[in-house]
Amino acid sequence: MSDAGGMPRVRPREDRVPWARRVRATIANQQFVLFVVLVALLVFFGSQNSRFFTTAEFTNLIIDFCGLILLAVAETYVIISGGIDLSVGSTVAISGVVGAFAMETLASHHVGEVAILLVGTVVCAGIGGAVGVLNAVLITKANLVPFVATLVTLSAGAGMALVFSRGADVGSNPAAISWSATGAWIFTWESMIVIAITIVLSLVLHFTAYGRYNFAIGSNAFAARVAGIDVRRHVASVYVVAGVLAGLTGMFFYIRLGAGAPTSGIGDELNAIAAVVIGGVSLVGGVGVMTGTILGAMILTVVTDGLIFINIQPTWNQVVVGAIIALAVVLQSLRPGRQGASA
Amino acid sequence: MTEQGPVLELDGISASYGSVQALDDVSLVAHAGEVIGLVGDNGAGKSTLIKIISGVQSPDSGRVVVDGEERHWRSPHDAMQAGIETLYQDSSLAPHLSIGSNIFLGREIRRGGLLGRLGFLDQRSMERKALEELENVGVTVPLSRRTVSQLSGGQRQAVAIGRAVLWSQHVIVLDEPTNHLGARQSQEVLHVIRRARERGLCVIFVSHTLPHVIEVTDRIVVLRLGRVVRDAPTSQYTVESLLATITGLVAAPGS
Ligand SMILES: Nc1ncnc2c1ncn2[C@@H]1O[C@H](COP(=O)(O)OP(=O)(O)OP(=O)(O)O)[C@@H](O)[C@H]1O
Ligand SMILES: [Mg+2]
Repeated sequence: MSDAGGMPRVRPREDRVPWARRVRATIANQQFVLFVVLVALLVFFGSQNSRFFTTAEFTNLIIDFCGLILLAVAETYVIISGGIDLSVGSTVAISGVVGAFAMETLASHHVGEVAILLVGTVVCAGIGGAVGVLNAVLITKANLVPFVATLVTLSAGAGMALVFSRGADVGSNPAAISWSATGAWIFTWESMIVIAITIVLSLVLHFTAYGRYNFAIGSNAFAARVAGIDVRRHVASVYVVAGVLAGLTGMFFYIRLGAGAPTSGIGDELNAIAAVVIGGVSLVGGVGVMTGTILGAMILTVVTDGLIFINIQPTWNQVVVGAIIALAVVLQSLRPGRQGASA
Repeated sequence: MTEQGPVLELDGISASYGSVQALDDVSLVAHAGEVIGLVGDNGAGKSTLIKIISGVQSPDSGRVVVDGEERHWRSPHDAMQAGIETLYQDSSLAPHLSIGSNIFLGREIRRGGLLGRLGFLDQRSMERKALEELENVGVTVPLSRRTVSQLSGGQRQAVAIGRAVLWSQHVIVLDEPTNHLGARQSQEVLHVIRRARERGLCVIFVSHTLPHVIEVTDRIVVLRLGRVVRDAPTSQYTVESLLATITGLVAAPGS
């Protein structure tokens, strides 16, 4: 528009933040608090057992983090869009089992190792995507609420994984296991791939139109619709993406185990949702930051692994996780103006 | 302004929600540079008519004609592309997004080059332009990086109106834009409406505040129980006669 007019322009009032307020704002910043908690946990476990700070242990930490983070990324997208996906854990199991079956079949036909893993990845992602499509249809066509729709696929997926595998691990692939032990420094190859996917999806969420629409729909679906956004199509796509991420996690567990286990991932949707909640994503939609989810997943991983390291019964794990969630939620409710953490 | 055909024509529009007949054979003709008041009691059908104009809903029967061409909106996006912008009674802003993001929602500015083609947004340009363009249509808001949820009700309304006005090509539909506004802010809204008229836009203004309607409109259409009961130049109404026509306590003159 033209800038030429002689009319005096009203300058918008800049918000002035003196340094003291800036410091206080940083402390109130959820991300900052999570980071401090993460460092404190690492220091604590390291001080209890010096072997915690070894390359081997960090490699394990990262592997466990990677088994959780794609599910947490999936939940971040879904929850910010105003929904929830309870089915991701079951989808890990069903896609892992079906993928393992496909890879087993290929192996019996003497197909090369690399080709088998590539095909397996595609099959796992495809099965995950198919579950996502089913969720999308139930939600956007049959108009079920996401909680119910994905509860249906949670049950069905877990059941199908058991039926399909007859309750036992599918296949045996020692080559996958030995491959999974290679990599660079503290990163195994498959961990690097997972981390790369996480980074890409973080950028997409916060810097692209697709991500912007995700926030807009979760914030006010009517506003998004009348702004010309195809809300149904977007919501459908989010569940498909979540399914694919769960499928890839199925492949990730297959590589670690050298087999597809019908129990892999079962119940992990709750850990993923926990990571998201700890990370400050609002369960009613429209608000959240991917770095929060990443920090949340890191904290959960460090606690789970650290408790084992200092010889505390793993049964305590759930209790500690519950306490952390409660703490995170209380912290969030104390934060002033917590509406404003997004795009 | 040269003589032109109407920018918007509604012809025999009917719509119902189940057994409720919300609109019954409603017709209306709107020209460029004209401000039309649409009034009527609660439930008279004003918002329903507006949702039909803006493509949120489809009529059961009747025609919507824009610039002489009959149109069938499949979505609000179609109506927007035809130059019709709407401020809905139900908030049409996303509270958790910034002012700038809201102004450009669905029309985001992308970055140049490959990143832009991959869908990456030029957030800085959007924030800057949002303020400029809002000022151009006469709306002043605080820093555009603020989220809408951090604004007062009146400021939110200003942002929503500003967005409708600045994107509009032909028709602006404002459903109760002065709702929740104080006296001064209401006057500012009326000022924005006048400026839109000067720019040659057609404004359809829905309000229950009759003095505002009389002050700013050229013509007033009165709806009662889904029917048009009077459509006349504003000069033929007083607040009292308008009120009487809305409530139906006095027979509308000429009917
Ligand atoms: N979503 C809906 N479902 C069912 N009935 C509806 C719906 N929306 C409106 N109606 C009915 O349609 C009729 C017209 O409603 P509408 O919202 O158009 O009125 P209005 O003139 O905008 O009223 P107000 O001044 O209160 O905003 C009313 O009888 C209302 O109850
Ligand atoms: Mg209304």
